[in-house]
Amino acid sequence: MDYDAQLRLQAFLDGELAEAEASEVTDWLARDREAAALLEELRHTCEALRGIEAGIRLPESREFFWSKVEREIQRLEAPAPKPAPVPLFALLRRCLVPATAVALLIIAGVVLTRPTGPSGLTPAAEIETALADSGAFTYRDYSAGTTLVWLSYPADNEVAEDDETDIVE
Amino acid sequence: MAAFEELVARHRDKIYARAYSMMRNEEEAVDLSQEAWVKGWQRLRQFQGESSFGTWITRIVINLCLDQLRKQKRQRTESIEAMSEESGGVERQMPVVTVNPTAGLERGELRQRIDRALGQLSYEHRTVLVLHEFEEMEYKEIARTMGCSIGTVMSRLFYARRKLAVLLADLKKQDSV
Repeated sequence: MDYDAQLRLQAFLDGELAEAEASEVTDWLARDREAAALLEELRHTCEALRGIEAGIRLPESREFFWSKVEREIQRLEAPAPKPAPVPLFALLRRCLVPATAVALLIIAGVVLTRPTGPSGLTPAAEIETALADSGAFTYRDYSAGTTLVWLSYPADNEVAEDDETDIVE
Repeated sequence: MAAFEELVARHRDKIYARAYSMMRNEEEAVDLSQEAWVKGWQRLRQFQGESSFGTWITRIVINLCLDQLRKQKRQRTESIEAMSEESGGVERQMPVVTVNPTAGLERGELRQRIDRALGQLSYEHRTVLVLHEFEEMEYKEIARTMGCSIGTVMSRLFYARRKLAVLLADLKKQDSV
């Protein structure tokens, strides 16, 4: 018996075949003992299962089970809690704190990036030191239109050279 | 709400039994039947009375069980049994059980044996059997519920029945030894 024939037999048992096809299967069953045996086995299984669920009981009391269902329904149906109204002071504080922080950051940024000289000179003033001659300092004040140059003699490097010459001598 | 409580009291055992038949786990069956009742309350307006209330609420619990079983299946590897079914249909080679393996058994013992046998089936086979035998669904209705073809339903039902017959026969043999 092939698989399709087995499934057709099952469909016959389950009342899923059209009338003409069902009568064909009835004829076949009368001739084929193997098919009849298989049908019998399938029928026994169906009978064994019949009414088997009837003895199964919910292992919780009626009251307890209902209380759980009711509680869950009430939880789901409860309106979502509205956010509590924010007091005016708290609202102001909520806005002012970040604004103050931002303002402080801006001020700090401006102060830190402001170009000022080491001795508190205005940006219009600057001091230059000639690298080639460390004994010469130039002071320029653009606002006053003044330039001052200090020359120290003997220059440090000149003294060093002299000292060196002395040693050679 | 009082009327709904009465409905719960009237149908709670049947709903739980259906969940238990599908899940084979008491705790899960209780949780899913509770969930079905909550869903039933939420969808009460959708109940048109085309079927009985019992049928309607049973379909809700069946769908919840199916969702749960699919989730569980995704989490664990395929059973050897399911693989063997896919690879060639062992049910075709099973010898026919000629003697009724449940004949003469008391109701309690029969239930115990069927319980054990059902527990050894994969969820797909067990579900097809439950939907056909307990819910009395037709092939096409089972196919729609499970999201598969009618051919698959027929094949799964055939395998489940044959496997159940063999398992019950084995239990009978063990008992007689």
